[in-house]
Amino acid sequence: MGDSMSTIINATTTNGVVIQPDNSGSLVLQTNSGTTALTIDTSQRAAFVAGTAALPAITTTGDTNTGIFFSAADTIDFAEGGTACGQFDSSANFKFNSGYGSVATAYGCRAWVNFNGIGTVAIRGSGNVSSITDVGVGIYTVNFTNAMPDTNYSTCYGANSYNDTNINIVIAIRGSSTINWGGVNVKTTSAIQIACSNTGNTNSLVDVFDLNVAIFR
Amino acid sequence: MNSRIIYQNDEGGISIIVPADCGLTIEEIAAKDVPQGKAYHIVDVSEIPTDRTFRGAWTWQ
Repeated sequence: MGDSMSTIINATTTNGVVIQPDNSGSLVLQTNSGTTALTIDTSQRAAFVAGTAALPAITTTGDTNTGIFFSAADTIDFAEGGTACGQFDSSANFKFNSGYGSVATAYGCRAWVNFNGIGTVAIRGSGNVSSITDVGVGIYTVNFTNAMPDTNYSTCYGANSYNDTNINIVIAIRGSSTINWGGVNVKTTSAIQIACSNTGNTNSLVDVFDLNVAIFR
Repeated sequence: MNSRIIYQNDEGGISIIVPADCGLTIEEIAAKDVPQGKAYHIVDVSEIPTDRTFRGAWTWQ
């Protein structure tokens, strides 16, 4: 047993120490003031106090102002050094402070691709893109592995050079430009078609060496 | 992936699908990304010309 400062429970078998309620109720651990600190219910779930950024509910020895806490219903919060640094709010938005100055919603890139559009057309790298379709000179369709929730997504694109010459390149969603790139406008939840033009040569369509497309929603 | 999927597009030309490394097989990508009802062929990338000078005139036989 223990000394004058604490009570020590020693395991008497190789099975270790087992603490078990003597009825069908939960196992509750309380502080010396009688406040509940941890409850293990009959479904084997551990429930902690809500905690705060300064005193997270789930933390680690020696760094007790860093951990997880619960600031509101249906909300999971994260703290570092006693300051909130991240949160999943009740609408499942993921918020974090990554140099933003405060915890704010992060709007992730939903799809991206970098590919070579000349010679042997090939994808260099991608995310959530199942393929690109080489439709013709300067026209490419980016096909998404997992569809967007709607067509209100934002498309960002950029190109680097064309046949190693210094020309200006205009990239746009095909059919949305005043330049005559055909009457096709492919912007759906599963794909987007873009066209690349050489502004220095009567706006003719051109293949692009290094084409980058990113989708945000 | 060294395969490509080709099909005749509605603009009179040949479309060539370049698969990404996305965890899907070439057949799964074809089923998903070839427009519905279009006949397609899966070919090796070496069968696709690298000279795109006359890209708009390409045909498939």
